[in-house]
Amino acid sequence: MRKILIPRRRFLQLSGLSSMNLMLGGCALNVVDSIAGKAFEPLNQSVETLLFNPQKPVPEFPTSEIEPNGLIVNSFRFTPKIDPLAFRLTVDGEVNNPLSLSMENIEGMPLTSMTIRHVCVEGWAAIVQWGGVRLRDIVSLVQPKSTVRYVYFMSADGYYESWDIASAMHPQTLMAYQKNGQPLPIDNGAPLRLASPIKLGYKLSKWVTGIRLVSDLLPAKGYWEDQGYEWFAGL
Amino acid sequence: MNLSAPSKTGRTIPYQAIAAKTFHWINIVSLLLMITSGLQIYNANPVFGGRTGWHFPIIFLLGGWLAGGRHWHFAAMWIFSLNLLWYGIYILITRRWKHRFASSKDLKALQLSKNPKRKNYAWHRLAYTAIIPVLLLAIFTGLGMYKPAQFYWIVDCFGNWQALRIVHLTSVPIFIVFAIVHSWLALKSGGSRLIDSMFW
Repeated sequence: MRKILIPRRRFLQLSGLSSMNLMLGGCALNVVDSIAGKAFEPLNQSVETLLFNPQKPVPEFPTSEIEPNGLIVNSFRFTPKIDPLAFRLTVDGEVNNPLSLSMENIEGMPLTSMTIRHVCVEGWAAIVQWGGVRLRDIVSLVQPKSTVRYVYFMSADGYYESWDIASAMHPQTLMAYQKNGQPLPIDNGAPLRLASPIKLGYKLSKWVTGIRLVSDLLPAKGYWEDQGYEWFAGL
Repeated sequence: MNLSAPSKTGRTIPYQAIAAKTFHWINIVSLLLMITSGLQIYNANPVFGGRTGWHFPIIFLLGGWLAGGRHWHFAAMWIFSLNLLWYGIYILITRRWKHRFASSKDLKALQLSKNPKRKNYAWHRLAYTAIIPVLLLAIFTGLGMYKPAQFYWIVDCFGNWQALRIVHLTSVPIFIVFAIVHSWLALKSGGSRLIDSMFW
């Protein structure tokens, strides 16, 4: 996959930084970073999956608690320019009815609004209102095969993510095109982005142009995951 | 706090149960991992001032970068909390809880006792009794931040997200002050032999 080249370059940059850190800090423990992750992540992930109830909605907030300036724009490379009239969302993979949807098609589907807490891996959080289409409604349109267990999201800026199907089918996992009662700003992922109260911010891809339903995870799991972040990243 | 056994030279040397030593060791090591990896996570977006806020120097950090810090934090969290859990079960089963923690007798001693050793001892018991709720609070607030979708009520207990982060982080300076005071009081009441007995 072409997209991998940049992460690898970025990865080398980060390795350089961490070896510098190692020498400066004089702390050999950094070498075994990935060991701590590899040893405990399977346990953490099973506990997370066990705690996670895919049908249970997360309580929402009244719109009066929205923090209009709370959401920090945290993009990984650049802000892609997308013509909303020419925009298409392709939904394919192991499905019986692959689709290519326009914004008009998507806005014609039932609108769901939710006011939830968006939590960033960096530690900050913001209460945001999102409006959009439930991902499960889009998935049901393409009629996935019974083998489907994962969903890949491709973004116009080259960002990529993968989710477990249960989290993707959660009733509060939206393909959002509204934020805080307004059309979604470009910096926040217009015309279409993922929004959900059950995953960390880096799972919530912006500028999503492709959704692919698959039965197996590829070696490339997600932009940040491929550099060492945890994959499940549930809240 | 410590039983005494006569040594060959006739002096009494402090003696600690092997379970107490094990708990003490695991507690110190896992807390050190929790704090250093926690400060690595803190540095990604300082609680006070956000990204432009004050950052901790590299020497106090574990994990190399945010992802590594998180891996360490969520690995050490198991060791730290399970250690505290089995310690709880241990003092319950062995009935140590009855005389291990500060009581009204210690408070009285602090006010009335003329014996400096007795006072020291009371302060010591008071300090390590008070640290247990702090450690439990650190786990509780940490759980609220780790799983806010499932444990939203924990976040609600503290009002909002920022308050929860502040309470979680506050356990770090409290613990460091405790470690200093605790060691100093131990040194005053039992000297280096008492300190040694807690480790070896």
